[in-house]
Amino acid sequence: MDIQLGLAGKDFVILLADNQITNSILTIKHDEDKIYKLSEHVVMSVSGEPGDSSNFSEYILGNTVLYNIRNQHELSVDSCAKFTRKELANALRSRSPYQVNYLIGGYNTISQKPALYRIDYLASIAKVEFAAHGYASYFCYSIFDRMKKPDLTQDEALDILAACVNELTRRLVINHSSYTLKLVDSNGVRVINGEELLKRTSAK
Amino acid sequence: MLQHKDGSVQNHQHGWEPYVDNGGTSLAIAGEDFCVIASDTRQSEGYSINTRFDPKIHKITDKIMLATTGYSADAKRLTEVIKMQTERYFYKHEKNMESHAAAQMLSVILYQKRFFPYYVFPILAGIDNEGKGCVYSYDPVGNMERVTFQVYGSASGMIQPFLDSQVGFKNQQNVDKTRLLTKEEAISIAVDSFTAATERDIYTGDYLEIYIVDANGIHREQKPLKFD
Amino acid sequence: MSLDKVLKYTSASKTNPYAFDDDENFLKRDVTDNISHFDFKFAPVLKPAEFAKSHIDVKSQKDSLIKLAHGTTTLAFKFKNGVIVATDSRATSGNVIASQTVKKVIEINPYLLGTMAGGAADCSYWERELGRRCRLHELANKERISVAAASKLLTNMVYSYKGMGLSMGTMISGWDKKGPGLYYVDSEGQRIKGNLFSVGSGSTFAYGVLDTSYRYDMETDEAIELGRRAIYHATHRDAMSGGYVRLYHIKKEGWEFIGLEDVEDLYYKYNNQE
Repeated sequence: MDIQLGLAGKDFVILLADNQITNSILTIKHDEDKIYKLSEHVVMSVSGEPGDSSNFSEYILGNTVLYNIRNQHELSVDSCAKFTRKELANALRSRSPYQVNYLIGGYNTISQKPALYRIDYLASIAKVEFAAHGYASYFCYSIFDRMKKPDLTQDEALDILAACVNELTRRLVINHSSYTLKLVDSNGVRVINGEELLKRTSAK
Repeated sequence: MLQHKDGSVQNHQHGWEPYVDNGGTSLAIAGEDFCVIASDTRQSEGYSINTRFDPKIHKITDKIMLATTGYSADAKRLTEVIKMQTERYFYKHEKNMESHAAAQMLSVILYQKRFFPYYVFPILAGIDNEGKGCVYSYDPVGNMERVTFQVYGSASGMIQPFLDSQVGFKNQQNVDKTRLLTKEEAISIAVDSFTAATERDIYTGDYLEIYIVDANGIHREQKPLKFD
Repeated sequence: MSLDKVLKYTSASKTNPYAFDDDENFLKRDVTDNISHFDFKFAPVLKPAEFAKSHIDVKSQKDSLIKLAHGTTTLAFKFKNGVIVATDSRATSGNVIASQTVKKVIEINPYLLGTMAGGAADCSYWERELGRRCRLHELANKERISVAAASKLLTNMVYSYKGMGLSMGTMISGWDKKGPGLYYVDSEGQRIKGNLFSVGSGSTFAYGVLDTSYRYDMETDEAIELGRRAIYHATHRDAMSGGYVRLYHIKKEGWEFIGLEDVEDLYYKYNNQE
């Protein structure tokens, strides 16, 4: 029941993910960071099959970092997303596919535009303004549709995510006590305190 | 995959069942400086008795015996493999393999077939490098434990509680639980275990083979059980 | 390992240990180095992994002929003076107690411990293999392997057999340059760092006791007693756990064996106390 949300604004992208690792009815970790930082301007959130998610993500992380070292140049969000999709698609056609879902967000420093990609375990890719995976998508897409507007500010985006978390707390059977939020803009990646978002939730 | 010489591949179809339980019971009891290994010799399949004399205990070295139960064909193959390896060791190092080394080797040999296991419950028993009696018990994929006594097979459910009481002194007060049995006690408990099990287990019977391993070497005894 | 080897682009597609067109590469597929380990044998059927899964019962869930011994309540937690590791000692196969004297703490080397839950043979085999690789790391690098690296070696080994029916839930704990280390590793390929874990069918009961009394700044005696209590209460409520409580304490100098206590004795001890 992982929660993964993403939102692209005027000049930034925010990813949100829950912090739980579960094993059937057991929560074995409460403070896991499921959002990988691929480079200074790209982040990637993961959900899916336990072993696959970390192993495949570490593979993607390793190879993007390797690209950056070799070329003294950062792989853009768009390239990161397409590279991930391709590797996932190749694995899908092998004997053991990876069952993992991704949201890849970032800020393209050349085109000076934010970008958010939604990739699922069947290696389909979509460039979107907002995205969700898993059960959260049933609750949050309507909220995104209702509250979205052109040239979203960071404050407005956090309000939308707060509304999503609020709804998930109210209606989803599983409660998540904490979340990780990462924001990317021209200045790079910034971690937003999950507690702050929860305060925003209760204030509304 | 069965790969033929011409390169063609033949596969077994779905639902292939390569295992059968041939019944029978084996046990081993370790003493201070000896070890008793006993097993019946009946081999059956369902309600049919295949043979009344198919020994399940095999000599591995001068100090180590292997008692098996489960699927007879797998047990025979496993014994072959163990014997081959201990023999290689003997010619390579000019000495017999010690029991702890043979025990670990058996575990690894079983685990090699983790994905297509030998359906065998082995007990490796004999004398260790300090001259003490030793018993190692295994599950079919090589989980190993050194114990003082073990019984496996169709009558294990009847005999294990008896051994727990008479060899392990379990659930008794005012007894020395670390006391090891004398040779005579161990043999008589082994015999009693099998005569009792033969009365109530259809897969145990015919003959009882008992091996006693001590400093003098391996001594074998055979007794008739009931033939019905 | 040369820099070139590190920088080499590798394909993400998992190589299949049981792929029949890939038998030649099986030995080379090894994770960390060229030292090959055993060539596992597979059933001569189209789907060997399916065969293995349908014929072997590791968790008493099926009525397959081959029932494996499996272990059940284990725990480990970090606290200010190191790590406490505690386990029960029962092994069940089907509904019979296969053994009441299983050693579920695996001494990988003098400063690393592993625990056993799931298939007993899977845990002992792979943790023994881990011990061998840790020793090779020591010889190659002239220093002890970190807990992080050791646990990663184990994850990588079992991850390559994912989907083939291995069952292993283990906690790798020890002491390295960074101090006490604790990782949860399982046969799904998960590897999680943390301060407190419990694994096995009795783990929920152990967690109940642990979570209510756990503090990082406990004294050593208090921590040992918490570990003992948690296992004791798990053996009391979980039928698949029982036997003896086995306790270890990991310190800077390596692990120390604390003791082995019969849960029956603990029952009378705790009940007369109240």
